[in-house]
Amino acid sequence: MSVAAQTPGAPRPSRLSGGARQRRRKAVNRFVMGLSWFAAIIAIAALLLVIVDVVIKAAPAISWDFLTQLPSSSFLNPSGGGIVNSIVGSAILIGLSSLISIPIAILVAIYTTEFAPPQVSSVIRFALDILNGVPTIVTGIFIYGILVLGHQQSGWAGAIALAIVQLPIVARAAQEVLALVPSSLKEAGLALGLRRWRIVTRVILPTAAGGLITGAVLGIARVAGETAPLLFTTSVFSNLTTNTDPSQALANIPVTIFTLSESATPSDHAKAWAAALVLIVFVLIVSVVARTLNERSRRKLGN
Amino acid sequence: MRETRHQFREDLAELERQVLGGLDLVISQLDRAQESIAYQDVELASMVVADDDRIDGRYLEVHQGILSMLARQAPVASDLRIVAALLHVIRCIERMGDQCVNIAKLVPLSGYESPKDKDILDAIEKMGLQARSQVLQAKQALGSRNVRMAQDLVRQDAGINRLNRDIFKRAVEIGDEIDMREWGMFMILVARCLERIGDNTVDIAEQVVFVVTGLFREMDDAAPHSTVRMSPEGGL
Amino acid sequence: MEQDVDLPKTEQVPDVSTTPGSPPEPETMERERLEPAQGHSVTVKDLNAYYGEHHAIKGVSIAFPPNQVTALIGPSGCGKSTLVRCINRMHEEIPKARAEGTVLLDDEDIYGSGVDVTAVRRQIGMVFQKANPFPTMSIFDNVASGLKLSGIRGAAMRERANHSLRAVGLWNEVSERLNRPGVGLSGGQQQRLCIARTIAVEPEVILMDEPCSALDPIATLKVEELIDELKSRYTIVIVTHNLQQAARVADSVVFMLDGEVVEHAPTNDIFSNPTDERTERYVTGKFG
Repeated sequence: MSVAAQTPGAPRPSRLSGGARQRRRKAVNRFVMGLSWFAAIIAIAALLLVIVDVVIKAAPAISWDFLTQLPSSSFLNPSGGGIVNSIVGSAILIGLSSLISIPIAILVAIYTTEFAPPQVSSVIRFALDILNGVPTIVTGIFIYGILVLGHQQSGWAGAIALAIVQLPIVARAAQEVLALVPSSLKEAGLALGLRRWRIVTRVILPTAAGGLITGAVLGIARVAGETAPLLFTTSVFSNLTTNTDPSQALANIPVTIFTLSESATPSDHAKAWAAALVLIVFVLIVSVVARTLNERSRRKLGN
Repeated sequence: MRETRHQFREDLAELERQVLGGLDLVISQLDRAQESIAYQDVELASMVVADDDRIDGRYLEVHQGILSMLARQAPVASDLRIVAALLHVIRCIERMGDQCVNIAKLVPLSGYESPKDKDILDAIEKMGLQARSQVLQAKQALGSRNVRMAQDLVRQDAGINRLNRDIFKRAVEIGDEIDMREWGMFMILVARCLERIGDNTVDIAEQVVFVVTGLFREMDDAAPHSTVRMSPEGGL
Repeated sequence: MEQDVDLPKTEQVPDVSTTPGSPPEPETMERERLEPAQGHSVTVKDLNAYYGEHHAIKGVSIAFPPNQVTALIGPSGCGKSTLVRCINRMHEEIPKARAEGTVLLDDEDIYGSGVDVTAVRRQIGMVFQKANPFPTMSIFDNVASGLKLSGIRGAAMRERANHSLRAVGLWNEVSERLNRPGVGLSGGQQQRLCIARTIAVEPEVILMDEPCSALDPIATLKVEELIDELKSRYTIVIVTHNLQQAARVADSVVFMLDGEVVEHAPTNDIFSNPTDERTERYVTGKFG
């Protein structure tokens, strides 16, 4: 292995030292490590740039009033007012959407991992993947055609459209987590003479709970910023009151950002940035929560 | 690809070789003891006594080897039977060696110039040859796992027992002289040692049958008035 | 080989854990004696089992005597695990697997029509190779899991669960922390926990699929001692790769090869004088 010349009288090179080949390997190693480090920096920098940009552009408009007041309709104070109705409306829409999609998603996941024959399972998985890939604007138009055309815009229509987007995300994540539950636990349950459904509710779901919550939370984070479905279903709303009735159109942040950015008033643009900041912060918090829950549940299962 | 547990089989075969070799040692001791009796050779007799160390040494080696094998290899089924049998046989070998020593020890005691009775001497010689042949047959039966040969040893042992009784009877009638009677007594003792060697070969035969069939049956000798019962312990 | 089943009544062994300063004896298990009970026999008749097209068990017939430990031995792939899984009808849970034949629990065929599979499994319990306590449940909840979810609750459930923990010798080790997670115990303790969970539902038969293969030697011996205790009350079938274990623990041994039974005999006979040449070659390790 050693490349050193055999000079008489010189000490014999050790088997353990690699010589020139080793030096070259080390150099390549350092180069690759440097490259990947650099790539990581770029990725983080991109995120930081976006955040910093939003923060800077939102700074003029962000304030406690912004978060708690209705949009002002005063010509005298165009930069005043806030987006409280959008915040509340978004919360309601996301809440309703989750209420609809998450239970269905988890039930579908349970069905495919526990009860369905393998061919049916893979068909359902395939369908969910396709649904996941449907452009949200198509979903929006679809719900528009069914629920809005001939009637009126409503929070329900928006929530249902969001639920359609949210469902495959939560369902696929739930499927992955449920599949990770060791089959030895199911065997243990079966061997005790427990009924299938009991095993699901008392053994499998609790074991997968952490991952299921993570999947649900990820769905929420994703759907929080969906604009296209809401544009078709709940985009014409009153800015005079904070509406909480889903049978009518509900104010929401994504549409508000859109409207504000199209406005002629310059101070509205800052407000749009501020609304975007609110959204980003929300998604950030939700993602952190998801990660923490994931760590907790992994610790429980892994050991 | 070597057979599994190759080393174990080797070790077991080696143990068996050592035991069979022990039987060879017994034969050589027996020959020399016989000769020393026939020619009143005290030096030869003392060599027999000294060389018993070799048999004792062989016993210790085999014993240790068996313990080691039991501890480390956990032999079962036929392997277990052969190991148990070897343990038993090496004890028989040790006892046979002791009997040869007993015979040799009787040589100086029976005096240099004592009167001798030809009949008794002939009978002793025949017993010795018979014992020798039995030990050899036991070795062959064990080595080749031959049940027939083993069972035949019982029949042969009857012959030794008969000779033993004859010597006893003859020694009783041997005459009035004290020297003669004393010599006769010693010859009875020699005969008894030879007879015990025969018993041990029957023990070995029982072990051979056990190894092959897995059944342990005591082989009673056929002699009707025998006071000897073949017991697994080999004693009287 | 018949044992005299004349066990003493419940022995109360002095509770070492209450004597201050004296460390608990690691080797002995303080264990409440089980009340002996008439065991139930399992009779397999002409059983055939398949994995799809693969014929894994070929017309096997075995009688497992009550209150005895029967060991199944044989090389990998001989079908011994498949066989025990047919006895508690777990085999058919595997996709494309099926079993045909008769398995009698006493005189009822568990493969008969109208038989409730979960009821079968409550009567025929199983302990697995890798201990599988439920990770989200405490020690107590684990032991009681079979009871709670079958409708036995309250004081009766607590009583049975505690009794099970005592019977497997875990009580003194865990009584202080019954509501700690079941997965926090050592490997040997987890396996005994699983055994406690199994016997809490009072099955008639206990099947064990290589229960000690993941345990260290001392934990193994503790489980083996426990098996010896358990047979006074249950009928036990144990699959094992470890011939020495079969020799220590079993009353009789079944040797299987390629999905068939080669020999079924008392343990002593199998290990000192087997009848079949193939059995001889397997136990002496001449299988090469």
